[in-house]
Amino acid sequence: KRFYSLKVAPKVSSSATAEKVKLPPASQDCEITKLPNGLVIASLENFSPASRIGVFIKTGSRYETTSNLGTAHLLRLASNLTTKGASSFRITRGIEAVGGSLSVHATRETMAYSVECLRDYVDTVMEYLLNVTTAPEFRPWEVSALQSQLKVDKAIARQNPQVGVLEKLHAAAYKNALANPLYCPDYRVGKITSEQLHHFVQSNFTSSRMALVGIGIKHSTLKQVAEQFLNIRSGSGVPGAKAVYRGGEIRKQTGDSLVHAAIVAEGAVVGSPEANAFSVLQYVLGAGPLVKRGSSVTSKLVQGVAKTTSQPFDVSAFNVNYSDSGLFGIYAISQAPNAREVIKAALNQVKAVAQGGVTDADVTTAKNQLKANYLMSVETSKGLLNEIGSESLVSGTHTSPSAAAQKIDSVATADVVNAAKKFVSGKKSMAASGDLGNTPFLDEL
Amino acid sequence: SGGSRLLERIRKWYYNAAGFNKYGLMRDDVLHEDDDVKEALKRLPEHLYNERVFRIKRALDLSLKHQILPKDQWTKYEEDHRYLEPYLKEVIHERHEREAWNKK
Repeated sequence: KRFYSLKVAPKVSSSATAEKVKLPPASQDCEITKLPNGLVIASLENFSPASRIGVFIKTGSRYETTSNLGTAHLLRLASNLTTKGASSFRITRGIEAVGGSLSVHATRETMAYSVECLRDYVDTVMEYLLNVTTAPEFRPWEVSALQSQLKVDKAIARQNPQVGVLEKLHAAAYKNALANPLYCPDYRVGKITSEQLHHFVQSNFTSSRMALVGIGIKHSTLKQVAEQFLNIRSGSGVPGAKAVYRGGEIRKQTGDSLVHAAIVAEGAVVGSPEANAFSVLQYVLGAGPLVKRGSSVTSKLVQGVAKTTSQPFDVSAFNVNYSDSGLFGIYAISQAPNAREVIKAALNQVKAVAQGGVTDADVTTAKNQLKANYLMSVETSKGLLNEIGSESLVSGTHTSPSAAAQKIDSVATADVVNAAKKFVSGKKSMAASGDLGNTPFLDEL
Repeated sequence: SGGSRLLERIRKWYYNAAGFNKYGLMRDDVLHEDDDVKEALKRLPEHLYNERVFRIKRALDLSLKHQILPKDQWTKYEEDHRYLEPYLKEVIHERHEREAWNKK
């Protein structure tokens, strides 16, 4: 039985009174089990012809210390190295031969190894996935050959000024843990050893911090695999340090005619009720263009700044949530001579919201945009896998899209105003890059 | 058993007759360097590689001077260990795997 939609279509009752489009009923499809050793298994059987399986691990650059910075970055690139069960050559060719793909996605707090393939070949790619996550060998010569890849990765990332600004923002905002860069620092390239990689894996890839998630696969299959293969390292490994917010500023003077600046204050923790309020506030203020080459009519930030300058600019609200902290603020891109006006106008807009200058209509618009964005992100199997995986890691449960939409709806206008107040009164952090001659310092704002 | 004792003695005799132990070399120092051996050498841990380079340097020096080491410094058959063998086996195994895949 194969259906080609991502979710099994709900049975539509043929009642003539149903006019409005309702969100599908709470999905019963996603099954979650938590094994006694802490491993969470989640699966969604949607009878699609392609399966996607991911191993999510609660580790990332925040778990590095100053002596092993960059290990998480190299680990990200090391997914195809030889393992105890298969040589590097065999992993590459084996996965290619069945038409699958193996990829690693890492954030500061989570690493996700995911494979996708046609349903019939799940066993083959699952074997490689388990080999890579549980039994890598990190042979010294392979690790040294991989270090040059770090430079290529960094060069590709640096093409985007946003990446640099966000790294600096985290380094400015936090004292430890979350301040660690996602990309390996230059002085560490070539010095990461196989022992450090082994140590990182041994202390972080433990069962209680992992989740095995599958879309298009039966729960019983996943459970069997997990019980047999994924309980090698028990315990909770090395606990990460608690992120301490400090609020600082880092400026990088380059010759760029465009100034990228981010100003944030401490935001909400993932999963807390405040997080939803901050997300809605983000959309009230404007979180990126919704219409290509449009004029962002619903974005308060863009409208406010447009009154002060006629030069090209872009400004949007910035919001990230981590497991013990968050950042909320604005990200502005402006021409170098105008940076001061743009940033001040943007911050004034947020102050206006904090003083109650937001109507219920604005909040409803923002809620709809947020809901639409969320629901569209889980429409692809990749987005859905990431969503189920991240949630399994954080709480071991799964919130159906309709429940998530309800939570968004339950945010009141007062919550949004409070969130804005928290930003205005909170200690700020700032990162900026470009020609910073006319860019204000934090104490001038 | 008697048969393998004899084989052992023949082996030892041949090792001493080959003569490279008189320069203080081990068997893996004198392997012909084809592509597999070159790749395996790249994978040697640093201390083994440095010892190998030292032995070869010393042997070249002795050969240049038309001398050999005093008898008590000759490499003994029992002490000669095949340090390169695990790496060489791995390299050859990988090459076979690659060829088998490419034939398919």
